[in-house]
Amino acid sequence: MDEWKPNPAVKPHKKRSWYLAWKYKLMNQRALRKLCQTGAVLFLLVTVIVNIKLILDTRRAAYEEEEESAQDYDDEMLNVEVPRHPVSNKKVLDVEVYSSRSKVYVAVDGTTVLEDEAREQGRGIHVIVLNQATGHVMAKRVFDTYSPHEDEAMVLFLNMVARGRILIFTIKDEGSFHLKDTAKNVLKSLGSQVAPFLSWRDMWTFVGKKGGEVYGEKHAKSPALSTWGDPVLLKTEVHLTSVEDAECHWPDTELNRRRKRFCSKVEGYGSVCSCKDPTPIEFNPDPLKDNKVFDVPVAVIAGNRPNYLYRMLRSLLSAQGVNPQMITVFIDGYYEEPMDVVELFGLSGIQHTPISIKNARVSQHYKASLTATFNLFPDAKFAVVLEEDLDISVDFFSFLSQSIHLLEEDESLYCISAWNDQGYEHTAEDPSLLYRVETMPGLGWVLRKSLYKDELEPKWPTPEKLWDWDMWMRMPEQRKGRECIIPDISRSYHFGIVGLNMNGYFHEAYFKKHKFNTVPNVQLKNVESLRKDAYETEIHRLLGEAEVLDHSKNPCEDSFVPDTEGRVYVMFIRMEQEADFTTWTQLAKCLHIWDLDVRGNHKGLWRLFRKKNHFLVVGVPASPYSSKKPSSVTPIYLEPPAKEEGVVAVPAVPAAEQT
Amino acid sequence: MLKINKNVVLALLSLTSLVFLLFQLYYYKFYVSQKNGAVFSKVRGSQSGQDSTRWHVVRKFLGLISSHNIQVYLIDPLILGLVDKDIEQIRSSPDGPSPECKYFCAPREFTTFALLDKTWKHEAGLFRTAEKMGFQWLKIINKDPRLDGMDDLSGIEIPLHYIFKLTSHAIHLVVFYERSGNYLWHGPLRLKQHTDRKFVPFRKLHFGRYPGAYEKPELLPVSIDDLKVQIPKNPSDFLEEMSHSRFLECRYREARTFFQLYPDDASLDAVEFRKKAKSLLHLAALTLNNLGVKFWLSSGTCLGWYRQCNVIPHSKDVDLGVFIRDYKADIIPAFQKAGLPLKHKFGKVEDSLELSFQGEDDVKLETFFLYEEDDHIWNGGTQAKSGKKFKYLFPKFTLCWTEFVELKVHVPCETLQYVEANYGPDWKVPVKTWDWKTSPSNVQYNGVWPVDEWDNVIQIY
Repeated sequence: MDEWKPNPAVKPHKKRSWYLAWKYKLMNQRALRKLCQTGAVLFLLVTVIVNIKLILDTRRAAYEEEEESAQDYDDEMLNVEVPRHPVSNKKVLDVEVYSSRSKVYVAVDGTTVLEDEAREQGRGIHVIVLNQATGHVMAKRVFDTYSPHEDEAMVLFLNMVARGRILIFTIKDEGSFHLKDTAKNVLKSLGSQVAPFLSWRDMWTFVGKKGGEVYGEKHAKSPALSTWGDPVLLKTEVHLTSVEDAECHWPDTELNRRRKRFCSKVEGYGSVCSCKDPTPIEFNPDPLKDNKVFDVPVAVIAGNRPNYLYRMLRSLLSAQGVNPQMITVFIDGYYEEPMDVVELFGLSGIQHTPISIKNARVSQHYKASLTATFNLFPDAKFAVVLEEDLDISVDFFSFLSQSIHLLEEDESLYCISAWNDQGYEHTAEDPSLLYRVETMPGLGWVLRKSLYKDELEPKWPTPEKLWDWDMWMRMPEQRKGRECIIPDISRSYHFGIVGLNMNGYFHEAYFKKHKFNTVPNVQLKNVESLRKDAYETEIHRLLGEAEVLDHSKNPCEDSFVPDTEGRVYVMFIRMEQEADFTTWTQLAKCLHIWDLDVRGNHKGLWRLFRKKNHFLVVGVPASPYSSKKPSSVTPIYLEPPAKEEGVVAVPAVPAAEQT
Repeated sequence: MLKINKNVVLALLSLTSLVFLLFQLYYYKFYVSQKNGAVFSKVRGSQSGQDSTRWHVVRKFLGLISSHNIQVYLIDPLILGLVDKDIEQIRSSPDGPSPECKYFCAPREFTTFALLDKTWKHEAGLFRTAEKMGFQWLKIINKDPRLDGMDDLSGIEIPLHYIFKLTSHAIHLVVFYERSGNYLWHGPLRLKQHTDRKFVPFRKLHFGRYPGAYEKPELLPVSIDDLKVQIPKNPSDFLEEMSHSRFLECRYREARTFFQLYPDDASLDAVEFRKKAKSLLHLAALTLNNLGVKFWLSSGTCLGWYRQCNVIPHSKDVDLGVFIRDYKADIIPAFQKAGLPLKHKFGKVEDSLELSFQGEDDVKLETFFLYEEDDHIWNGGTQAKSGKKFKYLFPKFTLCWTEFVELKVHVPCETLQYVEANYGPDWKVPVKTWDWKTSPSNVQYNGVWPVDEWDNVIQIY
């Protein structure tokens, strides 16, 4: 090691010595070295801290952004998911059905779907339809088969129910008195063994599948005429099928998707849910040329009569010139089925929390619906107001399109209505003829926005006043002498039998024989002559050419009017002052037209048709047209019947025809 | 040797931590710029592939829309801003081919279009086609405000916004509704609980933070970047309108509570007064809008809106506020021409101006002019018989749109502060006797007009 020293080592040595020198130097300056080391460590520490801080900062910033966006754009309303009914996952349903004199109930999987123990109500056979796949209630009906014809309605209903549905029957009180063989046979064909032998005051429950198996039946015979059978309780199980089996296989279109949704929820709408050849739900009627009411919103006022609403919307959507986008259905209450009907037709529907009771509830519903209509269509100058129990004439919109400009231009007009209170089969003739009348008929009418916003809405009867909205609108404070335009032949037909102020007798007497226009595209005549002054000229012309009838005859008799066609006749009745309608009311009664209050008059003049002749009635001397009476004619006076009789003759129903 | 290693290790560590620190700083800067949007977009936007993607997405969307016969118009502030610079040229040659993609390729994450609700039928087919074309879409629905003011109506939620996303670009379709008062309204964008919050960066949308109110725009069909679109006829006016479009809904629920506590006056007098006040307000709005004078509901009228969404029947007049900088000498003759003669004029333009016009049957239109100071705003009052001056102080506020008696009008956005300044914390309690000199909680005595000025500053007709 001592002798051999390799040359190349010189350089490193030199370097090393430099390094050592430096190191030595440093060693000498220990303090400086220490300082450098501490500095480096400190620097390290600082960078670590700064790093951590940066990481924290970035994370906080990211978190804040998320928070902020969440706060800015979150809906303040938390939508709490309602847990779905567990039925959908189950394969078997427990069904309990109870039948007795004073109470019936049906429970499906412990949920009561029907309970009726009200006195003197709900007599007859209760029917419930369940969806065979989901177990949901699709229809609930009661047929009072103690009374006549109700069994026919039941047969009709049962025939409409799709095959495969689950049917539940139970009797309350009595259900056999008017249950005819046809109905019994239908029940038998459903699998009931008892139905053919059902008799007076028997109790009966039955659960079966339409066109399939029977899940259970129980029956208790009434031992004697004066007593009822013992209550029966049927407990059974129903096996659910798969959803696919419960549905029809219609082609997959937008329309059929709506149909499918509807048909899986409700029953009793006939061929709309038929698997083969279902009835259309889109109608595409011919558009109207120059349609002036295409942009006028249509408010359909509805309650909980979904079958009525279905019929009504069908006729409305079939009317020429209809614009489905302008239709809104307002449902008074949170009823599901009317909403299903609305959705079936692809229309928009709004539900309204019921306010107040009876007439006031209807009245508040009208107000809300009208206000909402003008809010939703702020451009509209008018709104068409319809009710759920009306058929709409095919030329309804054509009629409005031809006359609506009058409502805009003539300040003396209150409304245009599609309904003629006096237009019965035997008193209306001319689809192209219009009248001016001092009363407001309603039942399909056009409301001017300014009238509603400036006059009616601010003073609308408050909920505590149990007023009929239509009666209120007819009051002189509201009407202020303005008139409505009506057609001779109505463009709407009131088919509702169930309603607040309505029953079968009343409907039969006053609405059934109402004339309803079915002719499309009627060209209205004399539209311009309906303006205030022109109408007077027109009336004077008419009275001028009218033949005076023989006033010695009885105006109630058919022979009062000669057997002609197309002539104009006039008769004069006694009318002492403007409000004296004694003779008119008697005349209306014997002509079998509306006599419950005075309708259809214009300055003491009524216009109708008898035997296809135009028939004018003038009240003398109150009417300004009295001057047309020849001096030789004595106005006819009809004695009102004695008081007691009057009470019997007029049914105890308020005069309003609304819902 | 150990000692050497220790030093080397120290030095190396310092170096790496320095590098790491620099990286962190860079990343932080990068992040901040992303948050602010512009810088980050530019980084991405410089790639030409990105440019044409946007154009392609817009083109596809327009194709989708027109195949369903739906009319939309462009309201994207970024593109309209660019378009506005060349508006003359675009107007003069609406069909000219463009040499370069100048507008629809501009860097951005969204393109915003408007859809008028009443022009389409809500057909579900649109969305199915959109999906077939590769769009992902999101629909934002909420309550219909047009029915909000009504007692207990329910049933419809209406679509307010749609977002169609394709690759990296999204189309924001804002649905505009026509409302009473002849204006267009779009809703706020609020996400329901289960919506995908990451669908698009919602915060960067130009529309939807607040609801907005707009005039019905006049549209101009143009062809830009070889795409046919409709744009507002005057983009700069639209952009200006957009910046002040925030809309406040009336507090219907609170108003209902108020009416439960204090039932509404349904007397004939009240009905008549409301009718007159409404038509007076309509006339005043028409007149001032024609002059281009910005105004808002003030004092009692503002309180009526805020508290009960209606005219207060015992208030006896209609009160408007106008910034003094918006004062025009034509105001008086214009009102006169509209059938509203000047009833009195207090103060002068430089100080405490107040104009009062005579409407139909004793209903007056009070116009207060507000003077802006550094930290507050005030208007003046003058007592005619004594020449005493009063000052009413308000905190500063901005203006929002609202709907009142079927009219689109301004109210202070910070309405609560405004009302509280004027009526104190008990503004919720109706007061029938009101003395304008002592009752307001923000009134200050402000001296007396010099007698020689009286002829000018106290004019009564």
